Amino acid sequence: MKGKTRSLPVSYRLAVASRVLAAVLGGYIVAALASVSLSSWVPMARADAVVTGMMASFLAYLGAVIWCFACRTAGRAWLGLIVPGLMLAAVSGLAYWVGRS
Amino acid sequence: MKEGFRQAMAWLHTWAGLTFGWLLFAIFLTGTLAYFKDETSHWMQPEIPARSVSSEASLNVAQNYLEQHAAGASRWLIELPDDREPGLSVRWQQTPAKRGERGQFTEKHLDPQTGAEVQGRETSGGEFFYRFHFQLQMPYPWGRWLSTIAAMVMFVALISGIITHKKIFKDFFTFRPRKGQRSWLDGHNAVAVLVLPFHLMITYSSLVIFMSMVMPASILASYRGDVRGFFDEVFPASTTPELSGQPAALAPLAPLLEKAREQWGGGRTGRLTVNNPGDTNASVVLVRDGADRVVHDFGSAVTFNGVTGQLLGTTPEPSLPRAIAGSFYGLHMGHFAGPVLRWLYFVFGLAGTAMIGTGLVIWLGKRQLKHAKSAAMPFELRLVEVLNIAGMSGLMVAVAAFFWANRLLPLGLAGRAAWEVNAFFIVWGLSVLHAVVRRGRRAWVEQLALAALLFGAVPLLNALTTPYHLGASLAQGDWAMAGFDLTCLATGVFFTWAAWKMQRAAQPERVIRVRAQPITLEQEAH
Amino acid sequence: MLLALLLCYVGFTALCLAMDRHHVELLGRQSSPRRRQGLRLGGGLLLALALWPAVASSGWGLGLVQWCAVLMLSALLLVLLIPYRPRLALSLAGLSLLASPVAVLAQ
Repeated sequence: MKGKTRSLPVSYRLAVASRVLAAVLGGYIVAALASVSLSSWVPMARADAVVTGMMASFLAYLGAVIWCFACRTAGRAWLGLIVPGLMLAAVSGLAYWVGRS
Repeated sequence: MKEGFRQAMAWLHTWAGLTFGWLLFAIFLTGTLAYFKDETSHWMQPEIPARSVSSEASLNVAQNYLEQHAAGASRWLIELPDDREPGLSVRWQQTPAKRGERGQFTEKHLDPQTGAEVQGRETSGGEFFYRFHFQLQMPYPWGRWLSTIAAMVMFVALISGIITHKKIFKDFFTFRPRKGQRSWLDGHNAVAVLVLPFHLMITYSSLVIFMSMVMPASILASYRGDVRGFFDEVFPASTTPELSGQPAALAPLAPLLEKAREQWGGGRTGRLTVNNPGDTNASVVLVRDGADRVVHDFGSAVTFNGVTGQLLGTTPEPSLPRAIAGSFYGLHMGHFAGPVLRWLYFVFGLAGTAMIGTGLVIWLGKRQLKHAKSAAMPFELRLVEVLNIAGMSGLMVAVAAFFWANRLLPLGLAGRAAWEVNAFFIVWGLSVLHAVVRRGRRAWVEQLALAALLFGAVPLLNALTTPYHLGASLAQGDWAMAGFDLTCLATGVFFTWAAWKMQRAAQPERVIRVRAQPITLEQEAH
Repeated sequence: MLLALLLCYVGFTALCLAMDRHHVELLGRQSSPRRRQGLRLGGGLLLALALWPAVASSGWGLGLVQWCAVLMLSALLLVLLIPYRPRLALSLAGLSLLASPVAVLAQ
């Protein structure tokens, strides 16, 4: 990713843009899902669980952002967010279905 | 893969740092200044005397005043003076507000000794820096969103920086001055690594402070959209008892301070709310001073019946998650900090500001080396250069201009407070123009020299425009006033040195030396 | 906070001298693996020990904050002094070590 070339190819720029989009938007969604999952399942009073979920969410966001730029391709960035995202959504959904939440 | 990971993080660190660097520099600088906002406000309203009076005496003064001027009000609020905020302020509300709304208040500042109303010159004071650093002079709630986004980017930049810095332990004590770009990188690493606990705390706590606004998903999910329900649970609403309609004399409030102190094991009261004064159903809510403990207490309160003095209730100890959130809040605000610790907060805040500033200088310097031979700089680099100069030295000139405006604007000018703020932004804007018109080094030297002049001359300006000059403030032991003058003087000295260094660095032999030792961040990543 | 500051400063100086590069730079001669280990251990112990006066005088909450603050301040001071005034940096460490017992009495 060392841009020593005179002008960077469009494909490179698109890949970077894709990663940025994944990190910013996708990362936010993953973080939000992580906070919901955590607050649904952690054995605390409701308000405390929500506070815990929110505080921890930023660590999830950080992880998502780092992943988006560390992985080999832009495609993998998105995949690496979508798969955990779906799992977290399932975990939250399970909590709702079981009657916790 | 290891190699690739570090390189990727170096790339992320560089670009995250650049895109948000100027905003973060402004946030860090104004936030750092906000640690002394009470002292700044005192300097900017020198007419209001700083008198130390006991809490009980101030409360008596406040009660007398309110019984005379606000007898029929539905609610009184009294802010007691403390070490840093010597003013006594009272507010009252004639008619109760609708649920969830703030309501209309009349506010007065009183002299805690005489009970007379005090009027200082109209100014935002230190509050301007405090509010700016998280609201960015933007309408609610956009400023807060932007500053919290900036905080997240800062967090990413910090962590990616740690990952990138391969020799974080080996180079822990390394600082090699007088070696051009190498020194700038050493300096950047030093202020970053040595003060890392502070930077991480400040950054993460700023995310926690606005987390309900930026990450509400779990509130919405757990409370099925009833956000108000969440806030009611976390901040138990002070229930206002019904007005009975039967008049009864309000008991003296001062003895309640001692009762509250017993409840809190020695804690101080910060403010009082009197509901329905003059009625049989009057209640007095004493809220603990936030400066009492590190864990910021959101409304640790004791409630008494206003007529009989009977204890009506206390708020329970916070749960662990709420205590943790409170700790983040308390550590960020630093209300608990005494003078020594407060100065350390200030120093570490400046270190954070310097970390960002050196990063921006390094970003440009490295790329300028590549274009050193050609006469003209490509547009992108020129843009970064202008933003660096205006965003850093220009901002500091604007801060000084804010103080100068406070002393020079006529006292009776309408909208005086707004004009002081305007002066800040106008000067900042002019610094951008100046940086565009004047090339590189010259713009730096001129703006740094101007900052040196404006800051250094503050004590003189103070002496010429008010009777509260350094001689008087030192003699009276008014340390806030004297400290402000002296700190501005020291700042002026620092900028003089900086301007001189910048001027010398512009000399030819320096440029050759810099070229002879090109450093590459990529090598660092290996 | 003074005792904590003194202990941290000495501790960091020891950790600094435990590195070959800085040992040569500051003391002008090579160190040995045993000395390096000793300095590292001693330095680390002093940094940890500095926690005690902070907590003893201000409780755990405020004490931890003061300890972190003093750690960061002493590190900054040392790193700033080494390139400009290396002998002062070292003599301050020596003075701090001597002054610590006195500061203990003042606690």
